[in-house]
Amino acid sequence: MISEAKLHPSTEMLEKFTCGSLLSGLNVAISAHIELCETCRHKTSEIEAKAAIDWLQTNDDQKQNDFSDLALNIVNQPQIEKLREKEAILDQIHMLDHSVRLPKVLAKATSQGLVWKQLGGGINQALMHLDDETQCEFIYMKPGSQTPMHKHQGSETTLVLDGSFNDELGHYQRADFIYRTEKDMHQPRSEEGCLCFSVLDSPLTFTKGLARLLNPFFKYQFRRSAVGRGI
Amino acid sequence: MSAILLKMDNLAMRQFALEKASPPGSAEDGTVSSVENNLDPTSDEALLVKVSNSKSKEAFGQLFDRFANKVFAHGMKILRNEQMAKDLVQEAMLTVWQKAPLYNIDKGNVQSWIFTITRNRCFDMLRKQKRQPAVLSADDIWPAGFEEAEALSEAGRGSVEVQISQIEKLVRQLPAAQQAVVEQIHILNRTHEEAAQFLEIPLGTLKSRLRLAMGKLRQSLGTES
Repeated sequence: MISEAKLHPSTEMLEKFTCGSLLSGLNVAISAHIELCETCRHKTSEIEAKAAIDWLQTNDDQKQNDFSDLALNIVNQPQIEKLREKEAILDQIHMLDHSVRLPKVLAKATSQGLVWKQLGGGINQALMHLDDETQCEFIYMKPGSQTPMHKHQGSETTLVLDGSFNDELGHYQRADFIYRTEKDMHQPRSEEGCLCFSVLDSPLTFTKGLARLLNPFFKYQFRRSAVGRGI
Repeated sequence: MSAILLKMDNLAMRQFALEKASPPGSAEDGTVSSVENNLDPTSDEALLVKVSNSKSKEAFGQLFDRFANKVFAHGMKILRNEQMAKDLVQEAMLTVWQKAPLYNIDKGNVQSWIFTITRNRCFDMLRKQKRQPAVLSADDIWPAGFEEAEALSEAGRGSVEVQISQIEKLVRQLPAAQQAVVEQIHILNRTHEEAAQFLEIPLGTLKSRLRLAMGKLRQSLGTES
């Protein structure tokens, strides 16, 4: 199922993605968005073609090395004759009353299974460890739920996988790619329920009410997640 | 500010999508062999077709000469180590040789193809160098349409049962000792060491309880392979 996304990664972000210079967590979010968004898929392959030309046209001062020993070695290896069978990938998350098919990269990333926990207010979170610099997680907002008002110290990237949510700045649906920087303060809520994949590059700060008590917990949790742990 | 940028991107993309709307004529039959005769014999594409169709070592040698030093330069830029850059030449060009039969000209020219192979192998080497978890390889993140898409058949798909209320129920069904361990690690997010200290049990006991508990949960959820 392909739906038309309204919000996309910026061109600059797609360029960095193409060159492989983003953090893993962001790479995964963009890869998943591209699978859901035909526009960005085309755009990325154009950027890739252009990057390849730039790559070949760059004049580097490096001396020209002689790698002919490597070439001789390589041609003695067998070639791949046909596609090998891919192992089955688990690619669905079953919500309370329906299933969500995940983009391939997320299905692969969750092939070990997910552990969900409740954060309160109808928000559930399943952390993943994809690199040491970002906190990656699935967020499931139950219908009618609302997160406490918060802002970000770093950036927060959110990809909507199912359902929809609102905040002060808009309404977001499946395939939308939302990028928030440290200046943005917001309070997401979801009427119909929502499954998102999100990538944080530093902890959240809650700005209102009792939720502020959670701040030390969130920082602690972020540190834990950043340190990394195996199941 | 960022909202405005995104809107502009949107417009540019729509324009772009329109330009892309008319596909080239022979979309159905873009296999390597069908285009062999129409190619300039000195082009990268013609050489790769020879590598693919007749395992031509000579054609590969020419491709190798054209690209090896470029791959090396990319490796020096990203990996900053001469030996690793040389390893990248080996890895990337070996992939070119091995996967030549999978190359499909419809999906982009040879330059782009080798560029993406170089980027992917380099990304994997960098991740290894940084000792990052190997959950995902570069080929998962940048699916090269011509291999991945077709290989993934509908029949092979399964599903993970991750129903939130169901998990909560299952955790409550675990023996108290295992439940406590799961709570420490996965709800309170403590490290193994911290949890063992808190529960006043040896680390080994904690780990084996956790393993048992997670095994049971996975089994009940049907996520056990």
